[in-house]
Amino acid sequence: MASEKVVVAPLAIKMVLHNDLALRLRMHFKNKLSNFSIHDNSNFATDIRRLAAGHVGGQVFAAYVLCTAQDKDAVRLTLEQIDVIRRMCTENPEMELVTTAEGMRNSTKIACLISIEGGHSIDSSLPALRMFYQLGVRSMALTHNCNTPWAESSASLYPNYQRKNNSLTDFGKAVVNEMNRLGMLVDLSHSSWETARSVLKHSTAPVLFSHSSAYAICNNVRNIPDDLLLLLKENGGLIMVNFYSSFVACSHNANVSIVADHFDHIKRVIGAESIGIGADYDGAQGFPKGLEDVSKYPALIEELISRNWTEEELAGVLRLNFLRVFQKVEKVRE
Amino acid sequence: MDWVKTVCLVLWVFTFNSVADDLKEHALKLMTDTPLIDGHNDLPWQMKSLFNNQLNTVDLYKLNSTHTNIPKIKEGHISAQFWAAYVPCNTQYKDAVRQTLEQIDVIHRMCHKYPEVFKFATSSQDILDAFEQNKTASLIGVEGGHSIDSSLGTLRTMYQLGVRYLTITHSCNTPWADNWLVDTGSEPEAHGGLSDFGKQVIREMNRIGMLIDLSHVSEKVMNQVLDISEAPVIFSHSSAYSICNHKRNVPDDVLMRLKEKKGIVMVNFYNDYVTCQKTADISDVADHFDHIRKVAGSSIIGFGGDYDGVPRVPDGLEDVSKYPDLVAELLSRKWSDEEIRDALGRNLLRVFREVEEVRDHQNGTKPDDIPIPFKEVQNSCRTDFGYQYASSSTCIQSFYPVVLVLTLLNKLL
Repeated sequence: MASEKVVVAPLAIKMVLHNDLALRLRMHFKNKLSNFSIHDNSNFATDIRRLAAGHVGGQVFAAYVLCTAQDKDAVRLTLEQIDVIRRMCTENPEMELVTTAEGMRNSTKIACLISIEGGHSIDSSLPALRMFYQLGVRSMALTHNCNTPWAESSASLYPNYQRKNNSLTDFGKAVVNEMNRLGMLVDLSHSSWETARSVLKHSTAPVLFSHSSAYAICNNVRNIPDDLLLLLKENGGLIMVNFYSSFVACSHNANVSIVADHFDHIKRVIGAESIGIGADYDGAQGFPKGLEDVSKYPALIEELISRNWTEEELAGVLRLNFLRVFQKVEKVRE
Repeated sequence: MDWVKTVCLVLWVFTFNSVADDLKEHALKLMTDTPLIDGHNDLPWQMKSLFNNQLNTVDLYKLNSTHTNIPKIKEGHISAQFWAAYVPCNTQYKDAVRQTLEQIDVIHRMCHKYPEVFKFATSSQDILDAFEQNKTASLIGVEGGHSIDSSLGTLRTMYQLGVRYLTITHSCNTPWADNWLVDTGSEPEAHGGLSDFGKQVIREMNRIGMLIDLSHVSEKVMNQVLDISEAPVIFSHSSAYSICNHKRNVPDDVLMRLKEKKGIVMVNFYNDYVTCQKTADISDVADHFDHIRKVAGSSIIGFGGDYDGVPRVPDGLEDVSKYPDLVAELLSRKWSDEEIRDALGRNLLRVFREVEEVRDHQNGTKPDDIPIPFKEVQNSCRTDFGYQYASSSTCIQSFYPVVLVLTLLNKLL
């Protein structure tokens, strides 16, 4: 009986998470939406049938371009990804493009929000940032796996813009200021800890980690150490837990339980109200057993309930925490 | 009898001035009941060149180093202006897209900074609304196909940002269209007009409701666009080739085709295009209006001054405050009120509405998502993401698993 009740309550709550389907569309279909069925597509982890099965009501779609486009055609590629996401969300009657917390809250369909995954997309241009905002982008990760001229990545895969002791330059602070002014969410997933630290001190709005997990459970540099979690709490921000096996289990073998461990740990350190779900489906290959695609979220919810998470805490994790943070960011704009 | 001569002279001068005053008054009256819509002004480029787009340091009320400022706009009775979002040809294959976004941004900010003067506009109705409110409707035209970097997705997102015309080329060929320099012999023709992708661009512009601007294109492009476009097209700042045989101008046979298509040619005031010399005056500009009217009627004429985009403008048209004087000159050449109203704004509004109707009519059709073939656009600044994996070329496919793994590794870490 308990588990039945569990399934009913979250039905009413639509989840919000991070998704890289748009990247897959470029890689496999050259963005030719006409060749792709969004309703049922076994090649990817996301399609409408499974989003519905997973009770996903809100999805942040990342307009992502690879780091090798930095200083080349990253801006154009980003515009093309924004275009493909807009099209996906406006051509399908089950989906709806939203640009406000209220829009997301009130949507009766799968609400799409556009994000940019990496500051290299703006080519160090505040006007480009502003124009992306106008196109509906409501969140930007300051870096992906490459440094920008003004912020540092957690990865050192690329030689670009490596430097010491200047993880967030003055221009980087100007970017954060402009994002605060516009009402765009600052996403610190993929940024170095030093960059994250600087941003957490500088930003006047709450920030988020859109797809990162707990360093204490798995010591991968993409994860967040406890001291940063505490700064995040002060900032009023959100950490949306990534499900990728290498980040949750530090190995390729993971299951629902280890993912739940991350939730438990973060709750212990900074409280359930700072947590969300940032699974990163279609941004990686190698997800835990039982959480292979977007239809499997309920399995995680059941596990958390079995660990005595309350309905209120779960409602927060699934949706309300994100909406609260988004709303606060909009307030800072005003 | 000298006193008689003097009196006659004085009377004549008085009458002449009276007549001139009357014409000016008549012009102003027409301009208060019909919006003047100018097709092309490069003030945003001046903002970039003079101030690096730092609008916060500029006062458009007081600026006096440009053809355009707010008091002059008011005096000139400009009710609607297409502001050019222009970036030079040497940004092609480099950072043209980003620079274009910056120009689009500066136009938005200009409107935002002076809301009492400018009203950002994206439709024919917006122009009329702004006119009712006694503001200058501000629209955006992107000047040069190189700004979209051969990407229909970029074209669509620029439309989302409010861009309402694209000049197919500036003074350089794109990977899909030839520019006017090809007709002078100073540049080799690349596509014989438009390539197949160029035709895709035209059709997509019809589908989304973006005005097609043929100023700066080669003659073959003019004719091919007139062949395939479903909607009427514009020349945002070009004059009559018959009067001044500069290849930036429009030959009579194209004017006739434009008339059939119900398009518009918005006359450019740049001396070099008006007289084919370094000097010109207001009468020379009026000659272009007269000629176009003679050849094709007044239904295809408009104003496309090109202020702040050119170094030499005619005596009598030194800045944007002088439009009423040009209207007065046309009145003195017996243009009727209706013809003047057509030229001021009604022709452009007709074209714009028709373009919107073609868009609305095509509402069911899907966006074109076939990218330009990679070999047509290959350059050192262009990555080929997307092409590698979906391509059926054998050479690339053999690397598919390796590249995919590398890409994923990069993405995941």
